[in-house]
Amino acid sequence: MSFSQPKKDKEIEESLVREFQGGNLKAYDKIAEIYQKKIYGLSFNLTRNQMDAQDVTQEVLLTLFRKINMFQGKSAFSSWVYRITLNASYMKLRSKKKEPNISIDELMPSFNGAGFQQEKIQDWSENTESLMFNTETRDVINKAVDLLPEKEKVVFLLRDVEGLSTEKTGEIMNLTVPAVKSRLHRARLFLRKKLSYYFEEFSSRKAEK
Amino acid sequence: MICCKECLDLLYDYFEGDLDQETTKSLDEHFQDCPPCISFLNTYKSTTKICRNTLNQVEIPEAIRNTLLKVLQDHKVDN
Repeated sequence: MSFSQPKKDKEIEESLVREFQGGNLKAYDKIAEIYQKKIYGLSFNLTRNQMDAQDVTQEVLLTLFRKINMFQGKSAFSSWVYRITLNASYMKLRSKKKEPNISIDELMPSFNGAGFQQEKIQDWSENTESLMFNTETRDVINKAVDLLPEKEKVVFLLRDVEGLSTEKTGEIMNLTVPAVKSRLHRARLFLRKKLSYYFEEFSSRKAEK
Repeated sequence: MICCKECLDLLYDYFEGDLDQETTKSLDEHFQDCPPCISFLNTYKSTTKICRNTLNQVEIPEAIRNTLLKVLQDHKVDN
């Protein structure tokens, strides 16, 4: 499920960065163009607020402009940009009153003593296609992601939404590959459970009709 | 036969194709005889897909895009 950055894009990007470091402002415009949607998307999904996402995007783009020489190419340029974006988004989140997170453990699958599933599991995967364009469904999905604890949420956004590789996600967040995998798995289990409430209810509503 | 818990713990690596052949085979065998796990598997996959499709739709509103462009241009002139 990973789709890492194609090699050619990476080379173009690296040469743009070198040109900009050498003083070519046109190269900066291209870098900003490539990244602004990614920066905005990630910060919006983290903060769920247009103003905050705008502030973060502006701040990150200006940081890239002012501090491009601090980028030394030790990691991929995109990792550097994502890291700056995350830090700026965290600052926004810290300044807000925090709602208590629900415990992720309560939503993990439950098993009997022999290790077999205890709950009745409905397969609602067939229903999702037709519901994807429904505003209510999108709301439910956005809210479910919003409820993820921050650590799991960031891994999920980088890996599953941005489509970065496990390795790259680890590089950005300073986590080992097994730690990324375990957080992502927990995030998916949590979301699956949250979405199950909605889709199962939808199936029973449909069955009643 | 391995139990549901072991299977679901390994689900991530199963989808990534990171398990050895023997383990993959024992998961496949379990899934053949376990409808709840099949439902779990399908909905787990579906969850990732629909969340990605929904959250990927974030676009920068036109007004914000214009403001950003202006801030960056001003900043470049100042420097």
